[in-house]
Amino acid sequence: MKLLELKNVTKRYGSLYALDKVSLGIEKGEWIAIMGPSGSGKSTMMNIISCMDKPTEGQVFFDGKDITKYSRRKLTEFHRDKIGLVFQQFHLINYLNAVENVMVAQYYHSMPDEKEALEALERVGLKDRAKHLPSQLSGGEQQRVCIARALINSPELILADEPTGNLDEANENIVLDLFRQLHKDGTSLIVVTHDPEVGEVAERVVRLEHGKIISDKKNSGFAE
Amino acid sequence: MNKKHRMFVRMVLASLIRRRSRMIVALLAVVVGATILSGLGLIYYDVPRQMSAQFRSYGANVIFTPSGDSYITDDEIKKAVSVFPSDKLEGYTPYRYENSKLNNLPVTLAGTDFSSVLKTSPYWHISGELPDGNGKTLVGKKLAEKFGFSTGDSFSMLNSFQVTDDTDLSVIPDYEIYTDPQTGEKYCDHMLDLSLSGILETGGPEEEYIYVTLDDLSALMRSDRGCDLAEVSVAAREEELKGYLDDINNGSGNLTAKPVKRVTASESTVLSKLESLVLIVTAVVLALTMICVATTMMAVIAERRREIGLRKALGALDSSIILEFLSEGLVLGAVGGITGSLLGYLFANTVSMNVFSSAITFRPLLIPVAIIVSVAVTGLACLIPIRSAVDVDPALVLKGE
Amino acid sequence: MFFRMIIGAFRRQWKKMLMIALTVALGASIATAMLNVMLDVGDKINEELKAYGSNITVVPNSQAVMSDLYDVEEDEKKDEYLAEETLGEFLTIFWANNITDFAPVLDTVVTVDGNEVQLIGTWFDHHFEFKKKGTVYQRDTGIINLRSWWDITDGEWLDEAKLSGDDYAMIGKKLSETLGVKAGDKIKVKGAKGTEELEITGIFESGDDEENCIFTPLSAAQRISGAEGKYKKAEVSAITSPDDELAVKAARNPDLLSGDEYDLWYCTAYVSSICFQIQEAIPDASARAVRQIADSEGKILEKTELLMALITLMSLIGATLGISNLVTSSVMERSAELALMKAVGAKNGQITLLVLTEIILTAVVGAAAGYFMGYGFAQVIGQSVFSSAIEMSGMVAFLVTVLIIAVTLVGSIPAVRMILRLRPSEVLHGGH
Repeated sequence: MKLLELKNVTKRYGSLYALDKVSLGIEKGEWIAIMGPSGSGKSTMMNIISCMDKPTEGQVFFDGKDITKYSRRKLTEFHRDKIGLVFQQFHLINYLNAVENVMVAQYYHSMPDEKEALEALERVGLKDRAKHLPSQLSGGEQQRVCIARALINSPELILADEPTGNLDEANENIVLDLFRQLHKDGTSLIVVTHDPEVGEVAERVVRLEHGKIISDKKNSGFAE
Repeated sequence: MNKKHRMFVRMVLASLIRRRSRMIVALLAVVVGATILSGLGLIYYDVPRQMSAQFRSYGANVIFTPSGDSYITDDEIKKAVSVFPSDKLEGYTPYRYENSKLNNLPVTLAGTDFSSVLKTSPYWHISGELPDGNGKTLVGKKLAEKFGFSTGDSFSMLNSFQVTDDTDLSVIPDYEIYTDPQTGEKYCDHMLDLSLSGILETGGPEEEYIYVTLDDLSALMRSDRGCDLAEVSVAAREEELKGYLDDINNGSGNLTAKPVKRVTASESTVLSKLESLVLIVTAVVLALTMICVATTMMAVIAERRREIGLRKALGALDSSIILEFLSEGLVLGAVGGITGSLLGYLFANTVSMNVFSSAITFRPLLIPVAIIVSVAVTGLACLIPIRSAVDVDPALVLKGE
Repeated sequence: MFFRMIIGAFRRQWKKMLMIALTVALGASIATAMLNVMLDVGDKINEELKAYGSNITVVPNSQAVMSDLYDVEEDEKKDEYLAEETLGEFLTIFWANNITDFAPVLDTVVTVDGNEVQLIGTWFDHHFEFKKKGTVYQRDTGIINLRSWWDITDGEWLDEAKLSGDDYAMIGKKLSETLGVKAGDKIKVKGAKGTEELEITGIFESGDDEENCIFTPLSAAQRISGAEGKYKKAEVSAITSPDDELAVKAARNPDLLSGDEYDLWYCTAYVSSICFQIQEAIPDASARAVRQIADSEGKILEKTELLMALITLMSLIGATLGISNLVTSSVMERSAELALMKAVGAKNGQITLLVLTEIILTAVVGAAAGYFMGYGFAQVIGQSVFSSAIEMSGMVAFLVTVLIIAVTLVGSIPAVRMILRLRPSEVLHGGH
């Protein structure tokens, strides 16, 4: 069974089709890059997958269950349990330090545990920066905290929206290395990006344009 | 306290402590609100009492008169005034009036207690000094002008009375008996030597009187018959006063207590205006201040829309976000409320000392009230922007700059 | 470009600007209302204090030295009078407008049913006209306002305008009990110059000796006592300023004042200067302050004004803190936007100017709205407490404008300092 399946998903804003009858299936453990220029509908797709938005038409199945039929509360719970989010702007809470920012995700999920949160930071190589506030961290470090926060609850899927958009090349590489590591550990990854370098390293690349999938192929250069 | 609760406290505290500049702004708003609330509250509650004391400058608001044709004694007065609570009784002054003659002109002699007379007639203007004992006198201005008296002068009051066989002359220190050549009746002249301590100006009938001590008057008249009336000054409002007077009048005493309507009725007219002035001013200022506090809190919270969106994206339920932000508001409200009510007390006390030269009555109840109102206003002010923030799709908040 | 940016800022952030404007308006309305009420409260309370009755009495000026009357018999005591025409002079003095009420008093002893009773002729609610040098002065005045504490227990106030003739009377409650009469009854009074039948219109309770008296219109009392065209005393109720050092000095002897001091004293509504002016207008009269009323009035006025001044001060501090606080927080909130402007090369001065212009514009709009709100609040206070309008002072509008602009600028200081410190990279990367 596919981890995630979009069936004829349409999202309309007035007369504008952000997504037009898009169907897409994602296997467990797969690493997919969704690419396309601005306005191609990739953000909308991301929002629908992350349950933060509902499609106008069509269905979204997660583990075989139609999540578009879920109530708001159930969606929140589902989303909390299954999905980890990585943002372009990191969205760390600026008055909480690195480890606390990770613990916030635990707090809303189940039970905060500082030891586990520190382990997560260790995985992204930030153990010694755990007590720093976001303003004291570089952009790359902030994004790594964001990744640690996304994976702390062992989600089945990590959704990253332009994760390297605000990073320089060195930091971009660190983040991509982390994705490789996660992929190796069996986590499913969806990365929305317009950066070809980020797209290249994914296992499968889906291209969107004007709300439609124009290509969907395995990446030939993908290195396990 | 489990880990979840601990994290909750940790987040709330971090928000309060690490977002220092914003929190100071918010706290300042709450403190200002609470200060005005408790300050004006204290003033509002204390103004009637303090003002009532000021209105005592109009002098006596109660007079005691004999019930029948007799006179009232010192003991009866003392018994009657004991009905008033001691902190409300400003003072009482007995008066005894006698007609006498000075240089063959009729004058009114008033015997009184000089030590308390300014308590019941604070408006007396005395040039010279208030007599401090027997043998000294205070003379009304008009009378003094008539006789050309000035401070320091001496004069004698004369009382002639008929002497019969059973007249006790031993009480008179020195006397001279003479016989009316026509009727053969015996008379005795009793002299009272007085030195003029001060001249009294009131603009009223008091300016025609000669005031002496009760002892001097008793000696001159050779009788301690008691007083004609007593003036009492009580710091109480019309209705309250009526209660005390009913108590006195229902007692078995020989005296009748009556309010001086000119003073009591006018006082309650003016005082009720003053009270409603302070009340409505307090209400207007408080309402406006609370709106100010609310707008500031709203600005402080509105700034955190993105954080609210993030928390939602991390899977937080609306209710738990509201709870967290309300807790911050609660802490702010409580800290601001406590600080503000203390500052408000200091302020009210300064006002009271400056205006009324007396400390304000501290009302402990106002502290919890100030805290509750601060918490409620802060909470409500938080709730409006939070509610609108949690209703917004997190995707929009997180995407939108 | 500058204006375009400002207009842009207003368009994008109209909600926030509205909030600032609202807070400024609230602050300005507190300031306007409180300052106006504070400035007018003295007059208002003064009017209320008129409930205590007259604060000046005018009596004939008896120059006669009593020392040469030593041997005069008691019953030969001569009464002294003032001519009724002199009453009009109260309306001609400098502070005539401060005289709220006045009434002549002519008392005489009459006999009713064999009882000796004091009869007082006066004005109740008298329409009075006076012509002098071509000017007509008129006033409705009388004891109806000078005896605010009277309770009418039976009948009603004697209405001079409605009743024809003057053979009416109001009598004290005690006297009515002694005589066994009620409102509507007629009593026969025998005075020095004749007997008249008076109809009782009302019975009053006053709590003092006046409860043993009969009150009739002045003309009736003049006929009964034979003192036609005369009165013995006038009660005057005037709005006065509390005594200060100058007033005390003048009360001793106005001639000792320097020229400037004299002018100031004469043109201030001290009770002593009003008395002085009455004596100037009526040379035969001696006007005296009723100390019980005049002094207490001064004291209560002073306390009330001070109290209101301090409450106003507190509200002003609260309002200014509230405004500067919100200004600070609203600029801080925009740090990201300002940092972006810096990042694209805007200079500190330009950003500061932009922010200050925006805020001052908002504040001016808010202050204007607040002034009118404050006007409303002041009138609400005036109407609900004193049932009369609060006078708006032009000075307050000026003060409030200056205050609001100053407060807004002061509130912007932390914000401006923040702008200067702002490092674009940090803000843009920090998410906030």
